[in-house]
Amino acid sequence: MLFRKGGTASAILAIALLVAILASMNAIVNHINLQTEALRGLLNIGGTYLILSGNSTYITDSKIGADLANQISNTTYIKNVLPQKVLTANITTKSRNNIIKIRAVEDVKIFLKLRKAYVNGTTAKSKTEANIGEILARVVAINLQDELNLTIGDNILKVKVVGIFRTQTEIDADLIVPMEASNKLTKDSGWISLIEFALKENINSEDTLNRITQQLPKDVKIVKTQQLKEFMQEMSMQTLTFLNTWSLTIYAMVAAASHIIATRLTTESRYELTMLKAIGAKKKHIFTLVLTYTAAIAILGSILGIALGIAGAQTASTILRWIWPSIEITPFLEVGQALQTLLLTLASSILGCTYPAFRSTHTRYMEQPL
Amino acid sequence: MRLIGFKYLKEQRILTLALILTLASMLFSITAFSLLGFYKGFTAYLGEEEDIVAIYDRKSKTPFTGLVPAYLAERISAVNGVLASSLEAMVPCIVKGEAIFLRGIVPEDFAKLNPLTIIEGSILELGDLNSIIVGKNTADRLNIKQNEKVLVLGVLTNQYIELRVKGIYESHSVMDDEALAPLYVGQWLRGTDYGHVTLIRFKIDRSVVSPSAIFEEVAKEASEPSPSQGETQKPFEELIMPIVRARFRIEDVGVEEAQSFMRSYLDRYGVTREALLILSVMVFLFSTVSVTIASKTIITQHKGEINVLRSVGASKKLLKRDILIKLLPWSLIASSTGVVLAIIVLTVIQGCGYLKVLSHAVPFQLDPLIIALNFILVSLLVSISILGSDLE
Repeated sequence: MLFRKGGTASAILAIALLVAILASMNAIVNHINLQTEALRGLLNIGGTYLILSGNSTYITDSKIGADLANQISNTTYIKNVLPQKVLTANITTKSRNNIIKIRAVEDVKIFLKLRKAYVNGTTAKSKTEANIGEILARVVAINLQDELNLTIGDNILKVKVVGIFRTQTEIDADLIVPMEASNKLTKDSGWISLIEFALKENINSEDTLNRITQQLPKDVKIVKTQQLKEFMQEMSMQTLTFLNTWSLTIYAMVAAASHIIATRLTTESRYELTMLKAIGAKKKHIFTLVLTYTAAIAILGSILGIALGIAGAQTASTILRWIWPSIEITPFLEVGQALQTLLLTLASSILGCTYPAFRSTHTRYMEQPL
Repeated sequence: MRLIGFKYLKEQRILTLALILTLASMLFSITAFSLLGFYKGFTAYLGEEEDIVAIYDRKSKTPFTGLVPAYLAERISAVNGVLASSLEAMVPCIVKGEAIFLRGIVPEDFAKLNPLTIIEGSILELGDLNSIIVGKNTADRLNIKQNEKVLVLGVLTNQYIELRVKGIYESHSVMDDEALAPLYVGQWLRGTDYGHVTLIRFKIDRSVVSPSAIFEEVAKEASEPSPSQGETQKPFEELIMPIVRARFRIEDVGVEEAQSFMRSYLDRYGVTREALLILSVMVFLFSTVSVTIASKTIITQHKGEINVLRSVGASKKLLKRDILIKLLPWSLIASSTGVVLAIIVLTVIQGCGYLKVLSHAVPFQLDPLIIALNFILVSLLVSISILGSDLE
């Protein structure tokens, strides 16, 4: 009876157009997120990991047991295990004093080889020798064969620069010394700052990392050095957060539109509703009737809106492709998103129509003016 | 017959229409302010002034991922009318588990193009090894304090670096959402050699030199590379950073006004200011059916009063005109309320850090065009709904 009213089609269209805005925006954002995901495949993701102490937030803050490196080295599915001690020290040359970062490694030659370093000179082999990164050498004006005094607290060590290297990585700002030199400076050989390692090729990184984590003590953590996935996820999340906040306005519009639809229905159907009451319908029946009508409008509107939204977005992208052939947009909507839109529209609609539905239970035909 | 003074429309019923109009205006305003804010923020990313010119990589799909030879800065700086140059290596990275953009710069040169106010700590110098200065918004977001050490993890490369926060700056621009480090730090995290940067920006005197003249110089350099000078004559940054002269093809390098350069990236994807404005208007138009239903509902609710007025001689035309005159002020109030609510909502979500694109806050400004368009659209819609309605 109520569905035969003249305003039903326009009511469905009103909800459908609002839902279409949401569906098309979601479809376009999905495409953008998919493109962002695809970008990941274009980049060569490095498989380097760091083991740091669990409570540390940066490298020089981290202290882990030195024997952990041996334990890790014995694992078959990892390679390039590089235990390192990173320290801040004072260096004194003939002309100046500077605070620099020292990186102590077991074997300087292997470490620099793995970093693909170009070395001017040789590599440090004993605790009295050091290699200096090109940037650091330039900033503190150190040349090959210069002698430096390294100071940490009361401990002083004299080293000779036997090589200047360039790796075009962060170690170009470091002084690299053998581990025994750092032990001399700290008077403690029981700890290191970090262990750098890489996974062997063609293995499942997630499973392997889980296995390694199980072998490690609880007070250490593994950090992946290249965080492309995390970055992309955050970029997508930023877009989705804004879209979700923005869509609240649409749902508010749906609630307001449903309020109008229910008001119009009760105004135009006063006679019918009064007739129903006269033949025995109770207030809850009238309430349910108005509520069901609006909910049905919301469901039909949502389905039509989702279809319109996707079709509209795809049509717009096709037109764009005709105008600019380089632009390839393929909007799509996931089933979960469509279902979520439908349910939220239904909820907003019920919220919006509750008051007019409640009022309709108290209105009599006699109350209609004239 | 005059009906102006006769109050036959009940305010409570008009309120429903006003609510719908408020929400439609709010939806339009939020969409338009945020989309145009994004457009403005993106195009002004490297500077809004006409005298800022950028040398960039034509092949790059984004403004953050290109590579151009760094030594061109020195070559072009010698051109008459070029007032300052800035080498920049922009990289996405992760700090404290959050995504940020880090810009590797030569601080002394960068300051000539973008003056920074240091609010904590001190200004960065190229020789500050393992140091970084952080924009105010980034510092607030990540709870970063001066002298704190942070572990920066690479996104484009397999690099990590520990940096000490030397200072916190404010620029009242998109840079407040970034961090600045010496140029070589940016290059390490970008995975490039010391001979390349993401882009080079120049400040020019437009009365003396134009972007096309700079392009000609770059083209000349591509075809006949100038001889390398001795290291003793080099500026400070080149004494710290190794001199690497990279060969390049002129087809790969572009020279453009900074704002046009950023705009060209959006244009490639069909994103223009007009397209975004049309999209916002489309969003408004999609809510018109709801407004039409609301207008019709008001007329239905006042059918009794309208019938009385019709029976005493009021014509349909007169009634429609009178209803419109009575509803238009409400519509304009609703429209203004929608704009105000949109501004409040955007301010709140921006304050909560939800209004971000690529980790940069989207700035929104009160655009008179959007406000005027809002009033025009609402007035037109209400007029069409009322004048087109059937009063029978």
